[in-house]
Amino acid sequence: MSAPAPALAKTPRRLAVVRLADASEAVAVLSFMFGLLLVFFPVVFPRMIVTSWQHGQLMPIMMGFTLLLDTCLYLRVAYLQSAKPRPMAAACLGWMPLLVVGGLSLLLRSAVSHTLSAGLPNMQARVGEEILAHTYLGLVSAVFLPFLVIRLLQQFKAANS
Amino acid sequence: MLGWTSLKWLLWISLYLIPVVFLPWAISRTWVHQHGRELRLKPHQLFQRGELGLPSLVLASSVVWNLLQSQFMPHTVALGAVIMGLSGIMAVTVWVETYCRQSSGVDLRPERAWRDSRSLALLVFSMAAVLEILLDRFAKVVAQ
Repeated sequence: MSAPAPALAKTPRRLAVVRLADASEAVAVLSFMFGLLLVFFPVVFPRMIVTSWQHGQLMPIMMGFTLLLDTCLYLRVAYLQSAKPRPMAAACLGWMPLLVVGGLSLLLRSAVSHTLSAGLPNMQARVGEEILAHTYLGLVSAVFLPFLVIRLLQQFKAANS
Repeated sequence: MLGWTSLKWLLWISLYLIPVVFLPWAISRTWVHQHGRELRLKPHQLFQRGELGLPSLVLASSVVWNLLQSQFMPHTVALGAVIMGLSGIMAVTVWVETYCRQSSGVDLRPERAWRDSRSLALLVFSMAAVLEILLDRFAKVVAQ
C-alpha cells in the first residue's frame, strides 16, 4: 500500500493572532461617530441616551452592540489571516464586553447617586452629562479592553511556550 | 447649548498634527533639497518605526490632565483617565517594541509597526476629541 501523497495530507490551520490595531481602527471610527453625533445633534442625541438609561434600556443595548462588534472584529481578523479562532479568545470576547458594561453600569449608578446627594446647582443637566460620558467610555472600553486582554494573553502564552 | 463651537476642539487637537506629521515631513523635504538627493519620503516611511506613539502619549497625557481639572465625578474622571492612559501607553509601546526589535535584530516589520502606530494614534486622537467635547459641555453646564 502506497503512502498518501503530501498534497492530500491535511495541514492544520494556524490560530488567529490578534493585534491591537485591529480593534483600534474600529474604536476610532466609533469614537468619531459619537463625536459627530454630539456636534450635529447636541440636544437630541444626549436626550435619547439619558431617556434610554432612565428606562433601563441603555445597558442591554450597549452589551448587545459591543458583543456583536467584538465578535465581528474577531471573525474578520480570523478570516483575513485564514486562521482558526482561538477558543480562549472567543471565550474572552464572550464574557468581557458584558462584564465591562455591567461593571461600568454600577459605576455610573454610583456617580449619579453622588451627584444627586451633593446638592449641586443644575443637577439634572449634570446627571445627563455624567450619563453621556459613561456611555461613551463604556462603549470604548467594552470594545477595546477585550482585545487588549487577548493581546496580553497571547504574549504571555508565547513567552511561556 | 452646543453646536459648531464644538469643532474648535477638533481644530485645537488638529494643531498636534502640525508638529507631529507636517513638520518632520517638511524638514525631510528641506534636507533632501539641501543635499540635492533624489528622495521622496512618505509619512509611512518617515514613521515606520512607530514614532507616532510618542505624540499619542503626549496627547493622551494632556487630555488626562484636563479631565483631572474638570468637575466631573471622581468615578468618571478615573474611568476616562485610565482608558485614555491605556490607549496612550499601548501606542507608545509600538515604538518601544519596534526599537527593541531593531536593536536586537529580531524579526523587524516596518509595515506592521507603521500600521499599528497609525491605528493607535488615530484611536488616541479620536478619543481626545470626544473627551474634549464632553469636557466642554460639562464646563458649560457647571457655568450655568
